[in-house]
Amino acid sequence: MARVNDVGGQSGFGRVTVEPDEPPFHADWEARVYALNVAMLRRGVYNLDQFRDAIERMPPAEYLAASYYERWLHAVEALTAPRSGDG
Amino acid sequence: MSGQHASSQTAARVRRLEERLIDAGLTSDDELDGIIGRLLSGASPANGARVVARAWIDPAYRERLLADANAALEELGLSMSTGPQPQRFTVVPNTPDTHNVLVCTLCSCYPIALLGPSPSWYKSEAYRSRVVREPRAVLAEFGLELPAGTGIVVHDTSAESRHMVLPMRPAGTDGLAEDALAALVTREGLIGTAAV
Amino acid sequence: MAEPRFAVGDRVRALPVDPPHHTRVPRYARGQVGEVVEVQGAWPLADDRARGFGSPRVEAVYTVRFPAGALWGAAEEHWVQVELWESYLEGAT
Repeated sequence: MARVNDVGGQSGFGRVTVEPDEPPFHADWEARVYALNVAMLRRGVYNLDQFRDAIERMPPAEYLAASYYERWLHAVEALTAPRSGDG
Repeated sequence: MSGQHASSQTAARVRRLEERLIDAGLTSDDELDGIIGRLLSGASPANGARVVARAWIDPAYRERLLADANAALEELGLSMSTGPQPQRFTVVPNTPDTHNVLVCTLCSCYPIALLGPSPSWYKSEAYRSRVVREPRAVLAEFGLELPAGTGIVVHDTSAESRHMVLPMRPAGTDGLAEDALAALVTREGLIGTAAV
Repeated sequence: MAEPRFAVGDRVRALPVDPPHHTRVPRYARGQVGEVVEVQGAWPLADDRARGFGSPRVEAVYTVRFPAGALWGAAEEHWVQVELWESYLEGAT
């Protein structure tokens, strides 16, 4: 089944809300998550499609409740989590 | 609402993640600061606006831009190759017959180097779900009422290309210099949710 | 990689796939017929990269234009362009 991120054409999300003079980040932690992800991609810890995949595999209710950078945080955590047996 | 509390919990979670990745030798404070600094200082819709203004005043540049946008960017000292992987770049021109608008229905693909960090509305489910299905209604909510005869092309950015809209040059701007023309161009114009 | 199988002007159908992994063919395009308007060159297949394959398939990516009326069955008259890897597509008449 298509994943929760695949919303093209789906109804019920309401009007598009525009935030006037929106800053690039709404909190310092959002900028840090952004930077952590870029650093991991650069280093090849994972690739962009693995990152997208990690976001898409969030349970739908969680995905929809999360803010944009909360989704990123979830993905970076999931993709860098120490595997059991390590260390 | 406990927004403040939730946000401080999230901030603490991010700090733990950051410490773990730095301890693992995967990044450093300096690297992270550098990434944020370069994004905030370098990535801006002013870059896209410069490209548009040049295309408006120089028909030969416009032709090169539409034929090979990556190369045409380099002429202005801009690049789409600064990210984690190379990206093909295309510019789609608005005409009296055709209006273009960009979206990424699956995630949030966007030409950050040329347009800056994307606005929240671009990444919202509301925009991503609706603009492919009812673009005329969505554009009207943005205040863009297109003539009935203007066709709309919605570009769903689903692979490794990134796009930018080339708006039509507004009437009555013949005497303006390149900088003044660039100042007319908005981020929304480059996405296609505004005329310019 | 092999020569692109499709050319500008060809009619193609996005396969009615439903893979259990990451993919970049939006569900609204699955099973739909559109026209190739651009051949973008070759790119590693997102589905393979998402699964961490060491050597992802490298395939032509096509910009395919779909009429909105066919996608949404409505009075909408716009076009939706989607960028699709070759293995998402089959020839259509």
